[in-house]
Amino acid sequence: MIVATDLTKRYGDRVAVDGVSFTVRPGHVTGFLGPNGAGKSTTMRMVIGLDRPTSGTVTVDGARYADSPAPLRAVGALLEARALHPGRTARAHLRWLAASNGIPDSRVEEVLGLVGLGAVAGQRVGRFSLGMGQRLGIAAALLGDPPVVVLDEPVNGLDPEGIRWVRTLARSLAAEGRTVLVSSHLMSEMALTADHLVVIGRGRVLADCPMPQFIAEHAASFVRVRSPRAGQLAELLRRSGADVTRDGDELHVQGVDAATTGELAAGAGLALHELGLVTSSLEEAFMTLTAGSVEYAAARPAAPRTEVTR
Amino acid sequence: MTASTLTAPRTAAAPARAGLGRALHAEWIKLWTVRSTGWSVVSMVALGAGLTTLVCALIAPDLAAGTENEPVGAFITWGLLFAQVTAVVLGALAVTSEYGTGMIRATLAATPRRGTVLVAKAVVLSAVLFVAGVVTATLGWLGGNAFLSAEGIGIGLGDDGMLRSLLGSGLYMAGLGLLAMGAGLLLRSTAAVVSVVLAVVFLVGNLVMLLPGALGEWLTKLMPGNAGSRIAMPESFNPMLLEPWTGFAVFAAEVAVVLAVGALVFTRRDA
Repeated sequence: MIVATDLTKRYGDRVAVDGVSFTVRPGHVTGFLGPNGAGKSTTMRMVIGLDRPTSGTVTVDGARYADSPAPLRAVGALLEARALHPGRTARAHLRWLAASNGIPDSRVEEVLGLVGLGAVAGQRVGRFSLGMGQRLGIAAALLGDPPVVVLDEPVNGLDPEGIRWVRTLARSLAAEGRTVLVSSHLMSEMALTADHLVVIGRGRVLADCPMPQFIAEHAASFVRVRSPRAGQLAELLRRSGADVTRDGDELHVQGVDAATTGELAAGAGLALHELGLVTSSLEEAFMTLTAGSVEYAAARPAAPRTEVTR
Repeated sequence: MTASTLTAPRTAAAPARAGLGRALHAEWIKLWTVRSTGWSVVSMVALGAGLTTLVCALIAPDLAAGTENEPVGAFITWGLLFAQVTAVVLGALAVTSEYGTGMIRATLAATPRRGTVLVAKAVVLSAVLFVAGVVTATLGWLGGNAFLSAEGIGIGLGDDGMLRSLLGSGLYMAGLGLLAMGAGLLLRSTAAVVSVVLAVVFLVGNLVMLLPGALGEWLTKLMPGNAGSRIAMPESFNPMLLEPWTGFAVFAAEVAVVLAVGALVFTRRDA
Protein backbone atom coordinates (compact mmCIF):
# COMPACT_ATOMS: atom_id res chain seq x y z
CA MET A 1 0.00 0.00 0.00
CA ILE A 2 1.30 3.44 -0.92
CA VAL A 3 0.02 6.36 1.13
CA ALA A 4 0.76 9.93 0.09
CA THR A 5 -0.22 12.68 2.52
CA ASP A 6 -0.17 16.34 1.51
CA LEU A 7 2.77 15.66 -0.74
CA THR A 8 4.23 18.89 -2.13
CA LYS A 9 7.25 19.50 -4.33
CA ARG A 10 8.47 22.92 -5.39
CA TYR A 11 11.29 23.63 -7.79
CA GLY A 12 12.13 27.24 -7.16
CA ASP A 13 8.81 29.03 -7.50
CA ARG A 14 7.28 26.35 -9.72
CA VAL A 15 4.99 23.97 -7.84
CA ALA A 16 5.25 20.54 -9.46
CA VAL A 17 3.16 18.67 -6.91
CA ASP A 18 0.73 20.61 -4.77
CA GLY A 19 -0.63 18.97 -1.62
CA VAL A 20 -1.35 15.58 -3.14
CA SER A 21 -2.95 12.88 -0.98
CA PHE A 22 -3.96 9.43 -2.17
CA THR A 23 -3.81 5.78 -1.24
CA VAL A 24 -2.83 2.98 -3.59
CA ARG A 25 -4.29 -0.31 -2.35
CA PRO A 26 -3.03 -3.85 -2.83
CA GLY A 27 -4.80 -6.23 -5.16
CA HIS A 28 -5.67 -3.56 -7.72
CA VAL A 29 -4.02 -1.88 -10.63
CA THR A 30 -4.20 1.81 -9.87
CA GLY A 31 -3.82 4.03 -12.88
CA PHE A 32 -1.98 7.29 -12.38
CA LEU A 33 -3.25 9.65 -15.05
CA GLY A 34 -2.42 13.16 -15.95
CA PRO A 35 -1.32 15.34 -18.84
CA ASN A 36 2.39 15.80 -19.44
CA GLY A 37 3.87 17.98 -16.73
CA ALA A 38 1.04 17.24 -14.30
CA GLY A 39 3.43 15.92 -11.66
CA LYS A 40 3.11 12.16 -12.18
CA SER A 41 6.79 11.41 -12.49
CA THR A 42 7.75 13.79 -9.70
CA THR A 43 5.26 12.09 -7.41
CA MET A 44 6.58 8.65 -8.32
CA ARG A 45 10.16 9.79 -7.76
CA MET A 46 9.19 10.97 -4.30
CA VAL A 47 7.68 7.54 -3.58
CA ILE A 48 11.12 5.98 -3.95
CA GLY A 49 13.04 8.81 -2.34
CA LEU A 50 14.83 10.19 -5.39
CA ASP A 51 13.24 13.58 -4.88
CA ARG A 52 12.76 14.97 -1.42
CA PRO A 53 9.25 16.33 -0.81
CA THR A 54 9.16 20.03 0.02
CA SER A 55 6.48 19.04 2.53
CA GLY A 56 4.21 16.11 3.22
CA THR A 57 5.05 12.43 3.36
CA VAL A 58 4.72 9.30 1.33
CA THR A 59 5.04 5.81 2.81
CA VAL A 60 5.12 2.33 1.37
CA ASP A 61 3.55 -0.32 3.57
CA GLY A 62 3.83 2.07 6.46
CA ALA A 63 7.52 2.91 6.12
CA ARG A 64 9.56 5.50 4.33
CA TYR A 65 11.21 3.95 1.28
CA ALA A 66 14.66 5.13 2.30
CA ASP A 67 14.33 3.40 5.68
CA SER A 68 13.99 -0.02 4.10
CA PRO A 69 17.13 -2.15 4.53
CA ALA A 70 16.54 -3.71 1.10
CA PRO A 71 14.26 -1.31 -0.77
CA LEU A 72 14.20 -3.31 -4.00
CA ARG A 73 12.46 -6.07 -2.04
CA ALA A 74 9.87 -3.56 -0.81
CA VAL A 75 9.15 -1.55 -3.96
CA GLY A 76 10.01 -2.33 -7.55
CA ALA A 77 10.07 0.77 -9.67
CA LEU A 78 10.42 1.49 -13.35
CA LEU A 79 11.05 5.21 -13.46
CA GLU A 80 13.21 5.95 -16.42
CA ALA A 81 13.95 3.27 -18.93
CA ARG A 82 17.38 4.68 -19.59
CA ALA A 83 18.67 4.77 -16.05
CA LEU A 84 21.49 2.46 -17.06
CA HIS A 85 25.02 2.49 -18.45
CA PRO A 86 25.06 1.73 -22.19
CA GLY A 87 28.35 -0.15 -21.91
CA ARG A 88 27.10 -2.69 -19.42
CA THR A 89 25.30 -5.88 -20.40
CA ALA A 90 21.72 -6.47 -19.37
CA ARG A 91 22.83 -9.28 -17.06
CA ALA A 92 25.56 -7.13 -15.44
CA HIS A 93 23.07 -4.31 -14.87
CA LEU A 94 20.74 -6.65 -13.01
CA ARG A 95 23.60 -8.33 -11.16
CA TRP A 96 24.81 -5.15 -9.49
CA LEU A 97 21.25 -4.19 -8.65
CA ALA A 98 20.71 -7.62 -7.11
CA ALA A 99 23.97 -7.42 -5.16
CA SER A 100 23.02 -4.04 -3.72
CA ASN A 101 19.97 -5.59 -2.06
CA GLY A 102 21.30 -9.05 -1.26
CA ILE A 103 19.22 -10.71 -3.98
CA PRO A 104 20.72 -13.96 -5.32
CA ASP A 105 22.09 -14.07 -8.90
CA SER A 106 19.65 -16.88 -9.72
CA ARG A 107 16.87 -14.31 -9.51
CA VAL A 108 18.62 -12.27 -12.23
CA GLU A 109 18.28 -15.14 -14.69
CA GLU A 110 14.68 -15.62 -13.59
CA VAL A 111 13.60 -12.04 -14.34
CA LEU A 112 15.58 -11.97 -17.59
CA GLY A 113 13.49 -14.92 -18.74
CA LEU A 114 10.35 -13.37 -17.37
CA VAL A 115 10.66 -10.23 -19.51
CA GLY A 116 11.88 -12.14 -22.55
CA LEU A 117 15.46 -10.86 -22.57
CA GLY A 118 17.12 -14.21 -21.81
CA ALA A 119 18.62 -14.48 -25.27
CA VAL A 120 20.17 -10.99 -25.26
CA ALA A 121 21.27 -10.87 -21.62
CA GLY A 122 24.93 -10.76 -22.62
CA GLN A 123 24.53 -7.79 -24.97
CA ARG A 124 25.47 -4.27 -24.05
CA VAL A 125 22.32 -2.31 -23.34
CA GLY A 126 23.47 0.60 -25.50
CA ARG A 127 22.40 -1.51 -28.47
CA PHE A 128 18.95 -2.15 -27.05
CA SER A 129 15.85 -0.71 -28.68
CA LEU A 130 13.58 1.50 -26.60
CA GLY A 131 11.28 -1.48 -26.07
CA MET A 132 14.10 -3.78 -24.92
CA GLY A 133 15.34 -1.08 -22.56
CA GLN A 134 11.81 -0.84 -21.19
CA ARG A 135 11.69 -4.61 -20.63
CA LEU A 136 15.01 -4.45 -18.83
CA GLY A 137 13.64 -1.68 -16.63
CA ILE A 138 10.64 -3.87 -15.81
CA ALA A 139 12.99 -6.78 -15.06
CA ALA A 140 14.82 -4.51 -12.62
CA ALA A 141 11.52 -3.56 -10.99
CA LEU A 142 10.59 -7.22 -10.47
CA LEU A 143 14.07 -8.23 -9.29
CA GLY A 144 13.30 -8.07 -5.58
CA ASP A 145 9.92 -9.80 -5.96
CA PRO A 146 8.40 -6.73 -4.31
CA PRO A 147 4.88 -6.45 -2.88
CA VAL A 148 4.61 -2.95 -4.36
CA VAL A 149 5.31 -2.21 -8.02
CA VAL A 150 5.51 1.30 -9.48
CA LEU A 151 5.67 1.64 -13.26
CA ASP A 152 6.06 5.06 -14.87
CA GLU A 153 4.90 4.97 -18.49
CA PRO A 154 5.77 1.28 -18.88
CA VAL A 155 4.41 0.90 -22.41
CA ASN A 156 6.56 3.70 -23.86
CA GLY A 157 8.30 2.37 -26.94
CA LEU A 158 6.70 -1.05 -26.79
CA ASP A 159 5.09 -2.72 -29.78
CA PRO A 160 1.46 -3.89 -29.54
CA GLU A 161 2.54 -7.32 -28.31
CA GLY A 162 4.69 -5.67 -25.66
CA ILE A 163 1.86 -3.37 -24.62
CA ARG A 164 -0.41 -6.37 -24.15
CA TRP A 165 2.30 -8.11 -22.19
CA VAL A 166 2.67 -5.16 -19.78
CA ARG A 167 -1.10 -5.03 -19.35
CA THR A 168 -1.25 -8.76 -18.53
CA LEU A 169 1.72 -8.44 -16.23
CA ALA A 170 0.23 -5.52 -14.30
CA ARG A 171 -3.06 -7.35 -13.92
CA SER A 172 -1.46 -10.58 -12.74
CA LEU A 173 0.77 -8.74 -10.27
CA ALA A 174 -2.36 -7.19 -8.80
CA ALA A 175 -4.16 -10.54 -8.85
CA GLU A 176 -1.32 -11.93 -6.72
CA GLY A 177 -2.21 -9.34 -4.11
CA ARG A 178 0.47 -6.80 -4.91
CA THR A 179 0.04 -3.05 -4.96
CA VAL A 180 0.44 -1.84 -8.54
CA LEU A 181 0.69 1.82 -9.56
CA VAL A 182 0.95 2.46 -13.30
CA SER A 183 1.22 5.88 -14.84
CA SER A 184 0.37 6.63 -18.40
CA HIS A 185 -0.87 9.40 -20.57
CA LEU A 186 -2.50 6.80 -22.84
CA MET A 187 -6.12 6.72 -21.72
CA SER A 188 -7.20 3.86 -23.93
CA GLU A 189 -4.43 1.69 -22.52
CA MET A 190 -5.29 2.71 -18.98
CA ALA A 191 -8.95 1.91 -19.52
CA LEU A 192 -7.95 -1.68 -20.23
CA THR A 193 -5.41 -2.01 -17.43
CA ALA A 194 -6.52 -0.13 -14.33
CA ASP A 195 -9.40 -0.76 -11.93
CA HIS A 196 -8.81 2.37 -9.93
CA LEU A 197 -7.72 5.82 -11.03
CA VAL A 198 -5.84 8.68 -9.50
CA VAL A 199 -5.97 11.64 -11.86
CA ILE A 200 -3.74 14.65 -11.38
CA GLY A 201 -3.47 17.91 -13.22
CA ARG A 202 -1.17 20.82 -12.41
CA GLY A 203 0.09 18.98 -9.36
CA ARG A 204 -3.32 18.45 -7.75
CA VAL A 205 -5.50 15.37 -7.42
CA LEU A 206 -8.52 15.85 -9.67
CA ALA A 207 -10.08 12.45 -9.08
CA ASP A 208 -9.38 9.36 -6.98
CA CYS A 209 -12.00 6.67 -7.55
CA PRO A 210 -12.77 3.33 -9.21
CA MET A 211 -12.61 3.36 -12.99
CA PRO A 212 -16.38 2.82 -13.62
CA GLN A 213 -17.25 5.59 -11.19
CA PHE A 214 -14.81 7.91 -12.87
CA ILE A 215 -16.34 7.31 -16.26
CA ALA A 216 -19.86 7.60 -14.85
CA GLU A 217 -19.10 10.91 -13.18
CA HIS A 218 -16.96 12.58 -15.76
CA ALA A 219 -18.04 11.15 -19.06
CA ALA A 220 -21.22 12.54 -20.51
CA SER A 221 -23.63 9.72 -21.22
CA PHE A 222 -27.07 9.77 -22.73
CA VAL A 223 -29.80 7.47 -23.98
CA ARG A 224 -30.19 7.35 -27.71
CA VAL A 225 -33.60 6.36 -28.91
CA ARG A 226 -35.04 6.22 -32.42
CA SER A 227 -38.71 6.10 -33.01
CA PRO A 228 -41.02 6.83 -35.98
CA ARG A 229 -43.04 8.94 -33.52
CA ALA A 230 -40.12 10.81 -32.07
CA GLY A 231 -42.02 14.01 -31.48
CA GLN A 232 -44.61 12.32 -29.31
CA LEU A 233 -41.95 10.39 -27.40
CA ALA A 234 -39.93 13.56 -26.78
CA GLU A 235 -42.99 15.21 -25.30
CA LEU A 236 -43.60 12.21 -23.05
CA LEU A 237 -39.98 12.11 -21.84
CA ARG A 238 -39.86 15.83 -21.12
CA ARG A 239 -42.95 15.54 -18.98
CA SER A 240 -41.18 12.91 -16.84
CA GLY A 241 -38.28 15.26 -16.26
CA ALA A 242 -35.81 14.30 -18.99
CA ASP A 243 -33.68 16.61 -21.03
CA VAL A 244 -34.30 15.78 -24.67
CA THR A 245 -32.80 16.93 -27.94
CA ARG A 246 -34.29 15.79 -31.23
CA ASP A 247 -32.65 15.17 -34.58
CA GLY A 248 -35.14 13.75 -37.06
CA ASP A 249 -36.36 10.44 -35.68
CA GLU A 250 -33.49 10.29 -33.18
CA LEU A 251 -33.64 11.59 -29.62
CA HIS A 252 -30.77 12.14 -27.19
CA VAL A 253 -32.13 11.78 -23.69
CA GLN A 254 -30.43 12.78 -20.47
CA GLY A 255 -31.94 12.53 -17.01
CA VAL A 256 -33.75 9.20 -17.38
CA ASP A 257 -32.11 5.85 -18.03
CA ALA A 258 -32.67 3.52 -20.97
CA ALA A 259 -35.02 1.25 -19.01
CA THR A 260 -37.33 4.10 -18.02
CA THR A 261 -37.30 5.41 -21.58
CA GLY A 262 -38.36 2.01 -22.87
CA GLU A 263 -41.09 1.62 -20.22
CA LEU A 264 -42.51 5.05 -20.99
CA ALA A 265 -42.59 4.31 -24.73
CA ALA A 266 -44.24 0.93 -24.16
CA GLY A 267 -46.83 2.45 -21.82
CA ALA A 268 -47.80 4.94 -24.51
CA GLY A 269 -47.74 2.29 -27.22
CA LEU A 270 -44.92 3.99 -29.15
CA ALA A 271 -42.72 1.76 -31.32
CA LEU A 272 -38.97 2.06 -30.89
CA HIS A 273 -36.42 1.31 -33.60
CA GLU A 274 -33.38 1.67 -31.41
CA LEU A 275 -32.68 2.16 -27.74
CA GLY A 276 -29.24 2.36 -26.17
CA LEU A 277 -26.92 4.05 -23.71
CA VAL A 278 -24.07 6.06 -25.17
CA THR A 279 -21.08 6.70 -22.92
CA SER A 280 -17.98 8.59 -23.85
CA SER A 281 -14.58 7.02 -23.42
CA LEU A 282 -12.14 7.39 -20.56
CA GLU A 283 -10.13 9.60 -22.82
CA GLU A 284 -13.02 11.98 -23.21
CA ALA A 285 -13.78 11.92 -19.51
CA PHE A 286 -10.17 12.68 -18.84
CA MET A 287 -10.09 15.53 -21.33
CA THR A 288 -13.17 17.05 -19.78
CA LEU A 289 -11.73 16.81 -16.31
CA THR A 290 -8.27 18.12 -17.11
CA ALA A 291 -9.25 20.71 -19.69
CA GLY A 292 -8.36 23.49 -17.30
CA SER A 293 -5.14 21.98 -16.06
CA VAL A 294 -3.15 21.12 -19.15
CA GLU A 295 0.38 22.39 -18.78
CA TYR A 296 1.28 22.41 -22.45
CA ALA A 297 -1.97 23.06 -24.25
CA ALA A 298 -2.14 22.95 -28.02
CA ALA A 299 -5.10 23.93 -30.11
CA ARG A 300 -6.77 20.68 -30.97
CA PRO A 301 -9.81 19.62 -32.97
CA ALA A 302 -12.74 18.37 -30.91
CA ALA A 303 -12.17 14.80 -29.75
CA PRO A 304 -14.35 12.35 -31.62
CA ARG A 305 -17.03 10.83 -29.46
CA THR A 306 -16.70 7.10 -29.20
CA GLU A 307 -19.98 5.39 -28.73
CA VAL A 308 -20.53 2.33 -26.67
CA THR A 309 -24.03 1.03 -27.07
CA ARG A 310 -25.10 -1.11 -24.19
CA MET B 1 6.31 -14.42 -20.81
CA THR B 2 3.74 -14.17 -18.11
CA ALA B 3 4.00 -13.24 -14.50
CA SER B 4 3.02 -16.72 -13.38
CA THR B 5 6.53 -17.59 -12.24
CA LEU B 6 6.48 -14.83 -9.67
CA THR B 7 6.00 -16.04 -6.17
CA ALA B 8 3.56 -14.57 -3.71
CA PRO B 9 4.35 -11.11 -2.37
CA ARG B 10 6.69 -11.02 0.52
CA THR B 11 5.86 -8.38 3.04
CA ALA B 12 8.11 -9.64 5.83
CA ALA B 13 11.04 -7.38 6.59
CA ALA B 14 14.25 -8.14 4.73
CA PRO B 15 17.35 -9.00 6.75
CA ALA B 16 18.21 -6.03 8.89
CA ARG B 17 21.95 -5.90 8.07
CA ALA B 18 21.94 -4.59 4.55
CA GLY B 19 24.12 -1.57 4.33
CA LEU B 20 27.69 -1.22 3.37
CA GLY B 21 28.65 -4.79 2.49
CA ARG B 22 26.02 -5.02 -0.22
CA ALA B 23 26.78 -1.55 -1.52
CA LEU B 24 30.46 -2.48 -1.78
CA HIS B 25 29.59 -5.64 -3.69
CA ALA B 26 27.37 -3.65 -6.06
CA GLU B 27 30.05 -1.01 -6.68
CA TRP B 28 32.63 -3.72 -7.29
CA ILE B 29 30.41 -5.32 -9.96
CA LYS B 30 29.66 -1.92 -11.50
CA LEU B 31 33.35 -1.06 -11.72
CA TRP B 32 34.39 -4.21 -13.56
CA THR B 33 31.41 -4.55 -15.91
CA VAL B 34 32.27 -1.53 -18.04
CA ARG B 35 35.17 -1.54 -20.45
CA SER B 36 36.59 1.81 -19.39
CA THR B 37 37.84 0.37 -16.08
CA GLY B 38 39.91 -2.36 -17.68
CA TRP B 39 41.32 0.06 -20.23
CA SER B 40 42.18 2.64 -17.60
CA VAL B 41 43.97 0.20 -15.33
CA VAL B 42 45.88 -1.38 -18.22
CA SER B 43 46.95 2.01 -19.52
CA MET B 44 47.98 3.11 -16.04
CA VAL B 45 50.29 0.11 -15.67
CA ALA B 46 51.56 0.33 -19.24
CA LEU B 47 52.17 4.09 -19.15
CA GLY B 48 53.58 4.16 -15.65
CA ALA B 49 55.84 1.12 -15.73
CA GLY B 50 56.70 1.51 -19.41
CA LEU B 51 57.72 5.16 -19.25
CA THR B 52 59.71 4.65 -16.04
CA THR B 53 61.62 1.80 -17.67
CA LEU B 54 62.15 3.82 -20.84
CA VAL B 55 63.40 6.96 -19.12
CA CYS B 56 65.74 4.95 -16.87
CA ALA B 57 67.12 3.11 -19.88
CA LEU B 58 67.81 6.39 -21.66
CA ILE B 59 69.21 8.35 -18.75
CA ALA B 60 71.18 5.61 -16.93
CA PRO B 61 74.51 6.14 -18.77
CA ASP B 62 74.45 9.92 -18.23
CA LEU B 63 73.49 9.52 -14.57
CA ALA B 64 76.30 7.01 -14.03
CA ALA B 65 78.77 9.26 -15.80
CA GLY B 66 77.68 12.20 -13.67
CA THR B 67 76.85 14.34 -16.71
CA GLU B 68 73.18 14.52 -15.72
CA ASN B 69 72.72 16.77 -12.72
CA GLU B 70 69.55 15.17 -11.34
CA PRO B 71 68.95 12.73 -8.46
CA VAL B 72 68.68 9.10 -9.58
CA GLY B 73 65.74 8.51 -7.23
CA ALA B 74 63.61 11.04 -9.12
CA PHE B 75 63.55 8.80 -12.20
CA ILE B 76 62.65 5.45 -10.65
CA THR B 77 58.92 6.29 -10.46
CA TRP B 78 58.92 8.90 -13.24
CA GLY B 79 56.17 7.26 -15.32
CA LEU B 80 53.65 7.93 -12.57
CA LEU B 81 53.54 11.52 -13.81
CA PHE B 82 51.54 10.23 -16.79
CA ALA B 83 49.88 7.26 -15.13
CA GLN B 84 48.10 9.63 -12.77
CA VAL B 85 45.91 10.84 -15.63
CA THR B 86 44.15 7.49 -15.61
CA ALA B 87 43.56 7.71 -11.86
CA VAL B 88 41.84 11.04 -12.39
CA VAL B 89 39.72 9.58 -15.21
CA LEU B 90 38.67 6.55 -13.16
CA GLY B 91 37.86 8.69 -10.15
CA ALA B 92 35.74 11.04 -12.23
CA LEU B 93 33.92 8.22 -14.00
CA ALA B 94 32.95 6.61 -10.70
CA VAL B 95 30.46 9.45 -10.29
CA THR B 96 30.07 11.24 -13.62
CA SER B 97 29.26 8.13 -15.67
CA GLU B 98 26.27 7.63 -13.38
CA TYR B 99 25.05 11.17 -13.88
CA GLY B 100 25.76 11.10 -17.60
CA THR B 101 23.70 7.95 -18.15
CA GLY B 102 20.96 8.57 -15.59
CA MET B 103 22.07 5.45 -13.74
CA ILE B 104 22.44 7.45 -10.54
CA ARG B 105 18.67 7.09 -10.13
CA ALA B 106 18.92 3.30 -10.24
CA THR B 107 21.80 3.45 -7.76
CA LEU B 108 19.93 5.64 -5.30
CA ALA B 109 16.72 3.66 -5.68
CA ALA B 110 18.67 0.51 -4.81
CA THR B 111 20.65 2.15 -1.99
CA PRO B 112 18.72 5.18 -0.75
CA ARG B 113 21.24 5.98 1.97
CA ARG B 114 23.48 8.28 0.02
CA GLY B 115 26.28 8.22 2.55
CA THR B 116 26.50 4.46 2.10
CA VAL B 117 26.71 4.87 -1.67
CA LEU B 118 29.55 7.37 -1.33
CA VAL B 119 31.53 5.31 1.17
CA ALA B 120 31.17 2.20 -1.00
CA LYS B 121 32.30 4.08 -4.11
CA ALA B 122 35.24 5.65 -2.30
CA VAL B 123 36.41 2.37 -0.78
CA VAL B 124 36.21 0.39 -4.02
CA LEU B 125 37.82 3.16 -6.07
CA SER B 126 40.68 3.83 -3.68
CA ALA B 127 41.39 0.13 -3.10
CA VAL B 128 41.62 -0.55 -6.83
CA LEU B 129 43.77 2.54 -7.45
CA PHE B 130 46.04 1.74 -4.51
CA VAL B 131 46.73 -1.75 -5.83
CA ALA B 132 47.11 -0.52 -9.41
CA GLY B 133 49.45 2.25 -8.27
CA VAL B 134 51.67 -0.10 -6.24
CA VAL B 135 51.78 -2.66 -9.08
CA THR B 136 52.61 0.08 -11.62
CA ALA B 137 55.38 1.53 -9.48
CA THR B 138 56.79 -1.90 -8.66
CA LEU B 139 56.91 -2.99 -12.30
CA GLY B 140 58.46 0.36 -13.22
CA TRP B 141 61.07 -0.04 -10.48
CA LEU B 142 61.89 -3.60 -11.63
CA GLY B 143 62.18 -2.48 -15.25
CA GLY B 144 64.00 0.80 -14.67
CA ASN B 145 66.29 -0.56 -12.00
CA ALA B 146 67.56 -3.24 -14.38
CA PHE B 147 69.11 -0.48 -16.48
CA LEU B 148 70.28 1.54 -13.48
CA SER B 149 71.90 -1.53 -11.90
CA ALA B 150 73.66 -2.30 -15.15
CA GLU B 151 75.34 1.09 -14.77
CA GLY B 152 76.07 0.44 -11.10
CA ILE B 153 73.61 3.02 -9.76
CA GLY B 154 70.66 0.72 -8.94
CA ILE B 155 68.26 1.47 -6.11
CA GLY B 156 67.42 -1.47 -3.83
CA LEU B 157 64.13 -1.95 -2.04
CA GLY B 158 65.94 -1.31 1.22
CA ASP B 159 67.44 1.96 0.02
CA ASP B 160 66.20 5.23 1.43
CA GLY B 161 62.61 5.92 0.43
CA MET B 162 62.24 3.21 -2.21
CA LEU B 163 59.70 0.99 -0.44
CA ARG B 164 57.89 4.10 0.76
CA SER B 165 57.71 5.31 -2.84
CA LEU B 166 56.20 2.07 -4.12
CA LEU B 167 53.47 2.11 -1.46
CA GLY B 168 53.25 5.88 -1.78
CA SER B 169 52.48 5.51 -5.49
CA GLY B 170 49.41 3.52 -4.52
CA LEU B 171 48.44 6.09 -1.90
CA TYR B 172 48.88 8.99 -4.30
CA MET B 173 46.83 7.29 -7.04
CA ALA B 174 44.05 6.50 -4.57
CA GLY B 175 44.08 10.09 -3.32
CA LEU B 176 43.94 11.51 -6.84
CA GLY B 177 41.03 9.22 -7.68
CA LEU B 178 39.16 10.41 -4.60
CA LEU B 179 39.91 14.05 -5.46
CA ALA B 180 38.41 13.51 -8.93
CA MET B 181 35.45 11.69 -7.40
CA GLY B 182 34.80 14.60 -5.06
CA ALA B 183 35.00 17.01 -7.98
CA GLY B 184 32.65 14.67 -9.87
CA LEU B 185 30.03 15.01 -7.14
CA LEU B 186 30.16 18.77 -7.61
CA LEU B 187 30.47 19.06 -11.39
CA ARG B 188 28.75 15.84 -12.60
CA SER B 189 30.39 16.00 -16.03
CA THR B 190 33.31 13.77 -17.01
CA ALA B 191 34.90 16.32 -19.30
CA ALA B 192 34.61 19.11 -16.74
CA VAL B 193 36.04 17.05 -13.90
CA VAL B 194 38.96 15.64 -15.88
CA SER B 195 39.94 19.06 -17.24
CA VAL B 196 39.62 20.86 -13.92
CA VAL B 197 41.50 18.25 -11.87
CA LEU B 198 44.27 17.80 -14.44
CA ALA B 199 44.59 21.56 -14.78
CA VAL B 200 44.93 21.98 -11.02
CA VAL B 201 47.37 19.08 -10.62
CA PHE B 202 49.56 19.62 -13.70
CA LEU B 203 49.18 23.14 -14.93
CA VAL B 204 48.42 25.34 -11.94
CA GLY B 205 50.78 23.27 -9.77
CA ASN B 206 53.65 24.22 -12.03
CA LEU B 207 52.56 27.77 -12.84
CA VAL B 208 52.51 28.88 -9.20
CA MET B 209 56.24 28.18 -9.07
CA LEU B 210 56.63 31.27 -11.20
CA LEU B 211 55.00 33.49 -8.57
CA PRO B 212 57.60 35.55 -6.72
CA GLY B 213 58.77 35.11 -3.15
CA ALA B 214 57.24 33.24 -0.26
CA LEU B 215 53.79 33.26 -1.84
CA GLY B 216 54.99 31.29 -4.85
CA GLU B 217 57.01 28.98 -2.65
CA TRP B 218 54.11 28.13 -0.35
CA LEU B 219 51.53 27.77 -3.10
CA THR B 220 53.96 25.41 -4.83
CA LYS B 221 54.33 23.37 -1.66
CA LEU B 222 50.57 23.24 -1.05
CA MET B 223 49.13 22.53 -4.51
CA PRO B 224 47.61 19.01 -4.35
CA GLY B 225 49.75 17.46 -7.10
CA ASN B 226 52.97 18.83 -5.62
CA ALA B 227 52.15 18.01 -2.01
CA GLY B 228 50.79 14.54 -2.75
CA SER B 229 53.22 13.21 -5.32
CA ARG B 230 56.39 13.58 -3.25
CA ILE B 231 55.49 10.42 -1.33
CA ALA B 232 55.71 8.45 -4.57
CA MET B 233 59.35 9.42 -5.28
CA PRO B 234 62.52 8.51 -3.35
CA GLU B 235 63.95 11.88 -4.39
CA SER B 236 62.45 14.88 -6.14
CA PHE B 237 63.57 17.13 -8.97
CA ASN B 238 62.14 19.98 -6.96
CA PRO B 239 63.89 20.53 -3.61
CA MET B 240 61.23 23.05 -2.59
CA LEU B 241 58.55 20.37 -1.97
CA LEU B 242 57.31 19.36 1.47
CA GLU B 243 58.64 16.22 3.11
CA PRO B 244 56.90 13.04 1.78
CA TRP B 245 54.55 12.34 4.70
CA THR B 246 53.97 16.01 5.53
CA GLY B 247 53.06 16.63 1.90
CA PHE B 248 50.79 13.63 1.80
CA ALA B 249 49.00 14.78 4.94
CA VAL B 250 48.36 18.17 3.27
CA PHE B 251 47.17 16.41 0.11
CA ALA B 252 44.90 14.07 2.11
CA ALA B 253 43.36 17.06 3.88
CA GLU B 254 42.69 18.78 0.55
CA VAL B 255 41.09 15.62 -0.84
CA ALA B 256 39.00 15.30 2.33
CA VAL B 257 37.70 18.86 1.98
CA VAL B 258 36.68 18.40 -1.67
CA LEU B 259 35.04 15.06 -0.86
CA ALA B 260 33.21 16.50 2.12
CA VAL B 261 31.79 19.40 0.11
CA GLY B 262 30.89 16.98 -2.68
CA ALA B 263 29.19 14.64 -0.22
CA LEU B 264 27.24 17.49 1.31
CA VAL B 265 25.92 18.56 -2.09
CA PHE B 266 25.25 14.95 -3.11
CA THR B 267 23.18 14.11 -0.05
CA ARG B 268 21.01 17.19 -0.45
CA ARG B 269 20.44 17.19 -4.17
CA ASP B 270 17.48 15.50 -5.85
CA ALA B 271 18.65 12.64 -8.03
